[in-house]
Amino acid sequence: MSRSSIPSITIPFRAHTLGNGMRIVVHEDRASPIVAVHLMYHAGSRHEVPGRTGLAHLLEHLMFEGSEHAPKGAFDDLLERAGGSNNGSTWLDRTNYYETVPSHAVELPLWLERDRMAHFLSVLDQEKLDLQRGVVINERRQSYENRPYGLADERLSELLFPDGHPYGWPTIGYVADLEAMTLDDMRTFYGTYYTPSNSVLVFAGDIGPEEAFALAERYFGDLPAGPALPRREGESVEPAAGHRRETMPDRVSFPRVYRAFAVPGYGTPDWVALDVLAYLLSDGESSRMQRALVREGRIAQDVDTYLYPTELEAVFGIVATARTGIPAERLEEAFERVVAEVVENGVSEDEVVAAVRRTRRDQVAQLANVEERAESLAYAATTLGDPGRFDEVMAAYADVTPEDVRRVAAEYLRPERGATVVVVPAAGEVQDAA
Amino acid sequence: MPHNAAAPRVLPAPALGAPPVPRVPVPERWTLPNGARVVFLPRAGIPQVALRLVLPAGSSADPAEYPGTAALVASLLTEGTRGYDATALNARIDALGASVGAHAGHDFAEVEMTLLAGTLDEGIPLLAEIVTRPTFPEDETERVRAEMLDAFEARQDEPANVADDRTLAEVYGEGHPYGRPSFGTAEGVGAVPREALAAFHAARFRPEGAFLVAAGDFDPAELRALLESAFAHWTGGAEPVAYPAAPARPACAGERVEIPWPDSAQGEIRIAGTGMVRTDPRWVVASVANYILGGSTILGRLGSNLREDKGWTYGVRSAFSAGVAPGGWVAETAVEGEFTPRAVEEMLGEMRRMMTEPVPEEELRRAKDALILSLPRAFETPARVASRFATLEAYGLPRDYWERFPEQVEAVTAEDILAVSREHFDPARVVCVTVGGAASGEQVEESEEEE
Repeated sequence: MSRSSIPSITIPFRAHTLGNGMRIVVHEDRASPIVAVHLMYHAGSRHEVPGRTGLAHLLEHLMFEGSEHAPKGAFDDLLERAGGSNNGSTWLDRTNYYETVPSHAVELPLWLERDRMAHFLSVLDQEKLDLQRGVVINERRQSYENRPYGLADERLSELLFPDGHPYGWPTIGYVADLEAMTLDDMRTFYGTYYTPSNSVLVFAGDIGPEEAFALAERYFGDLPAGPALPRREGESVEPAAGHRRETMPDRVSFPRVYRAFAVPGYGTPDWVALDVLAYLLSDGESSRMQRALVREGRIAQDVDTYLYPTELEAVFGIVATARTGIPAERLEEAFERVVAEVVENGVSEDEVVAAVRRTRRDQVAQLANVEERAESLAYAATTLGDPGRFDEVMAAYADVTPEDVRRVAAEYLRPERGATVVVVPAAGEVQDAA
Repeated sequence: MPHNAAAPRVLPAPALGAPPVPRVPVPERWTLPNGARVVFLPRAGIPQVALRLVLPAGSSADPAEYPGTAALVASLLTEGTRGYDATALNARIDALGASVGAHAGHDFAEVEMTLLAGTLDEGIPLLAEIVTRPTFPEDETERVRAEMLDAFEARQDEPANVADDRTLAEVYGEGHPYGRPSFGTAEGVGAVPREALAAFHAARFRPEGAFLVAAGDFDPAELRALLESAFAHWTGGAEPVAYPAAPARPACAGERVEIPWPDSAQGEIRIAGTGMVRTDPRWVVASVANYILGGSTILGRLGSNLREDKGWTYGVRSAFSAGVAPGGWVAETAVEGEFTPRAVEEMLGEMRRMMTEPVPEEELRRAKDALILSLPRAFETPARVASRFATLEAYGLPRDYWERFPEQVEAVTAEDILAVSREHFDPARVVCVTVGGAASGEQVEESEEEE
């Protein structure tokens, strides 16, 4: 299996910047009569301050509660009537709002996004804040608290990133902070970050660049740029010395081990090599972790490795759930043994090429729809400063060598760079009833 | 504050032109000499091929004494074949950059394979190996069995799962295959002998009654030749699955089943009843009715009430499930614990309103527009296209179903919706299961969890 068998991935685009600094990116693809519109603000939970965690995400919820000319309910109503879909999401580095519509309706999301970018604060009130605060606290309960192992990731981030590091708190926020949030908090964050100069607007699908640029000018060109923001470059924090670990009792039947390492951020050459390493370790039944822990070792029900594409630094994680009667320590020993084998003996060219092909399989599937392509361009523009960096990152996979994989494993997966959370069945764990 | 200066202009809401006509792909349909149907949906542009091989080998065909047989068989297809042991097989799949997954639903078993374009000549023979020549080796069988048994135990840790499983049992009863999850029971998986797995495979993994959907970037002539060659030795047909009669309504219709869950952060709520077969002519009416009630997470009546008005939940939705036998209907949510009984009352109230008050024309129009105009998105990617056409093949729906879907939706009236709502949303015809949260304090159904 040679490297020539690795398919290439590119997303062609044209870019333009409005007078107010808003960046416009257009990817034309006429295969289906739909257009994805993707608006990304460079504002995520890392732009919050301790004591107000969860602000960015709560604001995202409020953005769906109406603006001056599209009152509560109108946003979803107008888009659904037109056959469109829409959503938003908040993560560490960015918040995005996106709509996919049949191509006749492309102006609708632009008009709606303009309204909530320019005519939002006047209709934001305490009642909306209180209501969405309740929805978000229920989201936290449903997605984290009422779910087995649900709070492990939150604890892992707290351990991995030192005090005050902006990746140290969860995007959903802490309940006490959510309860303390005020309208002024919302207004300040919105006024600082929800501006043309801090956003990227991507069109993908059944539209050409000239039409898209003209529409962007019409709907956003007259808005004020917003305050200049300091680029928070070099915010990367050296990991705290020594491995941090914690054991969390939970209402679960089997121990599960979460281990994570802080590694170079999205798009760097080492990040790409680490992504290949993640696939090589646990994607596919023949991968090293699957064999060592599940298929041959038979100490785990499942094992997974993952790499987050975050900006300041990324997180490389390994998670495994123990089989009946297996203590968590055996999983940790196996993690370390598998990584040590990679570091000491290296990996083969065939193994790397196969892993790269599997990354391609997932990338190709993900990029099959225009919504994902729009997000990929917006994300590269937001976190790497240039939508064209997306193609470069994709191309870099084909150049990853066995030595790169060995080196990044040796450099970044040392225990002293990591943190571990072990979730164990709480004492007397029995689902008995009253 | 950047927005306090001169207020930005107000732009008029855009006037939209005529919507585009959805491009429903026209598949190429043919049949292998052994009787397996094939649906080809070639489309260049995305260098991948999605293959879905579907067989009438779901859990409804499980031997009565071994629920979970179909699930275990599906999981073991990739654990060794006559041509390759498990290690060699997985090494081949992983080296291709392919993915293979097999699972059993209630009606069908499905093998899904994703191949990078240009790897069909290696991938298709592997697909045939997996589907037609598994050996169920003892060592791998016992490992997978042990993993499944652990998964059964872990499943009981999550209130949402407990609610789902109990709801199936309440709607269909223990005797119906839809009355338990398609992965069966721990007892069945633990006890089924390897010989029974091989026998299930030999009886049910047969080309007559099976179909394959291929979508993506491939040359039809090349793929056809590869399939004809790889599946040439495969023959025969499976007996039709015998479904017991579905109950007309849940045994405990009109009642509450409350399962305590100490210290739960939320109350899980399922309100469920019987639905209809996928081929039922009222399916489209039911889809529109359900869309209005709870098919649209935020704008549906359930979501507007519980999330947007009350703020009690992150989400609530409802759906009819498709089945060869009559499937079910369920509305599901998780709410702040103390509001559990009130949320149930609100949901039942919305259901009652669906069956007593005609849907206003405006609301009906919006639902129709949403369902019809979203069709172009439904046919965007090879995976979505494959899924839409697999539905037609699986249930024997007309070939022009998707072309005719808009006019069928358009024909739905408010009276149709009242009629289908009376049949499926009537609080007297559904059972309500809650796990955790505050108790209703009324008509608590004694259940074994409450000993």
